[in-house]
Amino acid sequence: MVDEFTQTLLGIMVGVIMLGLGASLTPRDFFLALKRPQGLLIGVISQYGIMPFLGFLFVTFLVVPEPIALGILLMACMPGGTTSNVFTYFSKGNLALSLLMTVTSTATGIIMVPLILVIYAATLDIEIPRGEIIKVLAVLLLPVLLGMTIRKLNANVGAVMEFCGSMLGAFFIVFIAVTWVPQNWQFLLGTSAATYVAAIGLGVVGITLGYFFARALKLHPRNARTVALETGIQNGPLAIAIVFFTFPDEQQQAIVAVPALYSLFIVITSTMVTFIFRRANTAAEQKMPDSLL
Amino acid sequence: MADTAKPWTAFYGDNVRADIGGGSYRNLPDLVRSVADTFGKAKAFTAVLPNGMNGTLTFKQVDEMSDALAVYLREVAGLSAGDRVAVQMPNCLGFPVAAFAIFKAGCVLVNVNPLYTTEEMAKQFEDAEPHALIIIDLFADKISGATKGHPIPNVIVTRVAEFFPVLPRGIVGLVQKYWDRSIKPIEVAHTRLPAAIAAGRAHIKSDKIEADRYAQEVTLDDLAVLQYTGGTTGVAKGAMLTHGNLILNMEQAMELLGRDIVKGEETIMTALPLYHIFAFTVNMLAFYWLGARNILIPNPRPLSNLKRAFENYKITWMSGVNTLFNGLTNEVWFQDTPPKHMKFAGAGGMALQSAVAERWKEVAGCEVVQGYGLTETSPVLTFEPLGNARAGTIGIPVPSTEVACFSEDGEILPQGETGEIAARGPQIMKGYWKKPEETSKVMNGEWFLTGDIGVMDEDGYFRIVDRKKDMVVVSGFNVYPNEVEDCLAKHDDVIEVAVIGVPDGATGEAVKAFVVAAKDSGLNKDAVRNYCKEHLTAYKVPKQVEFRDELPKSNVGKILRKDLRAEELAKIAAE
Repeated sequence: MVDEFTQTLLGIMVGVIMLGLGASLTPRDFFLALKRPQGLLIGVISQYGIMPFLGFLFVTFLVVPEPIALGILLMACMPGGTTSNVFTYFSKGNLALSLLMTVTSTATGIIMVPLILVIYAATLDIEIPRGEIIKVLAVLLLPVLLGMTIRKLNANVGAVMEFCGSMLGAFFIVFIAVTWVPQNWQFLLGTSAATYVAAIGLGVVGITLGYFFARALKLHPRNARTVALETGIQNGPLAIAIVFFTFPDEQQQAIVAVPALYSLFIVITSTMVTFIFRRANTAAEQKMPDSLL
Repeated sequence: MADTAKPWTAFYGDNVRADIGGGSYRNLPDLVRSVADTFGKAKAFTAVLPNGMNGTLTFKQVDEMSDALAVYLREVAGLSAGDRVAVQMPNCLGFPVAAFAIFKAGCVLVNVNPLYTTEEMAKQFEDAEPHALIIIDLFADKISGATKGHPIPNVIVTRVAEFFPVLPRGIVGLVQKYWDRSIKPIEVAHTRLPAAIAAGRAHIKSDKIEADRYAQEVTLDDLAVLQYTGGTTGVAKGAMLTHGNLILNMEQAMELLGRDIVKGEETIMTALPLYHIFAFTVNMLAFYWLGARNILIPNPRPLSNLKRAFENYKITWMSGVNTLFNGLTNEVWFQDTPPKHMKFAGAGGMALQSAVAERWKEVAGCEVVQGYGLTETSPVLTFEPLGNARAGTIGIPVPSTEVACFSEDGEILPQGETGEIAARGPQIMKGYWKKPEETSKVMNGEWFLTGDIGVMDEDGYFRIVDRKKDMVVVSGFNVYPNEVEDCLAKHDDVIEVAVIGVPDGATGEAVKAFVVAAKDSGLNKDAVRNYCKEHLTAYKVPKQVEFRDELPKSNVGKILRKDLRAEELAKIAAE
């Protein structure tokens, strides 16, 4: 449970994060990508095909109460998170591809998230506030569009926004750790191991599946690493915001457990994956001839 | 010497004068000042980073800042007229400020490649003996090593985002320092560029000094730039370029090419490094003169770094080398959204391949024409005239320039006969710095001998047939085989080595090393390349390495590079 102040703050933070995400691209980048949609298609499939199915498997095979199941499903259906771009940069992946995939999954999210949620929820017989979720997604799409436009109009302001957005994305994790965790300490102690398995597993298995999916499509290892991070790293802040803005107070604490835990653990998972990827990259670099200049 | 025939003037087109006279300005400071007076608050230079972050200086700002820096150099750093000031930075806003300040201070600018290794820097500093160095923070950690024997008393440090708005500048600084860790501690005493400018301003205010006083006596004949070019003997030579060389060469080039230029309306893409004479004269000087906005790209590699600049600015002109034009036409984003307002592209530095020229026209929708020249000629000698380009030629001489082919005896050959290309005109250097004997080797009276073998056709267009010197041109950068051989010869496991240039699709020519290795040394290609990488700039490192048991030699034991070259060409022909 969080108070109204925290909730407002949360809304503002997610808004700024989305603004920063939008500011990482210009409308031209976006339309250029639509002209050659193969790469994006891979992203959309991994984001809205692999991850939700993974969430569905967790819900089916792990014994969890319904609110936790809802949290798992919601988290699995989210678009790509902005932190994936930071980790892609560190793991020497394809930053341009990462940005594009994040923005695309966010933009298509307004249709894809409710659609997939409804399908899986119906299968699992879970109730979801579909209309409310669409509303939140639509509202959060505005700062993304605004960010894109600003990047086009003034690159300096846009780049500063992008920077602030990703800084805030990192700060958000700290925010969760210091506000939400202590307030819900007792609840977390009482939560079943299955909840933790799902919260950690979504990231770990998601990244692994994303990698092999991209490799199966014969993507360059560098791009495959990018797709992997993009697949496994979901937009945690967005999921948390959706929970607080669309579900009734009494359900919030349980539903938000997986998104909040996921947000905390994905940082650890991604950091470890980044170390592995960096090592893989160094090994590959030695084999490839350097080009001149 | 009597004037030679100039059949090419028939292709100059209307409004192009065959003789441009003696130059419109007293010296470079005069040019900088009067252009700033004309264009004032218009944007003169904009540096653009890969993410689109940018900073801009107006004509007035560049003028005022370079005044202050000139006063700093003279009054605070204590430099005198004619003292050398080395400038070592990629394209950034500090470059024009530094260059103009050096001219205004009556000093001599020494362009230094920022990617040089410590050893290469040391060699150049030893020869030019600069009294001050203006350097980018990215490479300032090399100073102490490079100036061990010859300390440089004044060091001024700038940065890529210098003169950017405060937030982007801060972010770039933070990212470079803590994220990329590309900025290493500077071990020598130094002043930051903004601090130097502030100190200069304070002097102007308190002492009522005007920067104009230093250049009062400077004439077109005075030295402005020492532009280094590797020597055939492996020793770098500084071509002495005067104020007149540079002013007249930019006027010559623009007289021929400036047909569609609207003063004060153009935007030029400067992706080539300004420390290279082509971009220095054509982009920085000529387009400043024309009131154009220069888009400075600090690092054009990878080419996607140019994407934001092309997207955010209405580029109307660009200069480049074959490699750049070829690369751009292969970039998907460039193909999908080519610049809409481009009028013209000029290529220099290396031969423009006709396939690249055609593809450029197809993708970018404008012509790319090529020019020819050398560091020693400031650099432009010839250019293909717009609308009258001829594939396979280097075009026709620019106004006020004579070009002819010389026989081995030093006589001018009749049109159509093949000989060494020589040129006469106001852009020919004064000579090599402190190397009169080297100068005499390349001068025949007023004629400068280029070392390139060529021929003039019936209309006065020139074509390069072969290169006399063994120099290899990698993406427009000169590589002298001797230097690479000298480096490799120092390797303990190398017995003999010969270096030549071989044709290369990507870079025009590539460096190839033939190595005779010591028996059982186990020396391999990577080891050879890595050794070169430690001592030489990247473009000089052999792309290909071949091991041989022996090298072809003449009777007197001189290694015959020409035989190796013939072998390579035969191999390529056979393929």
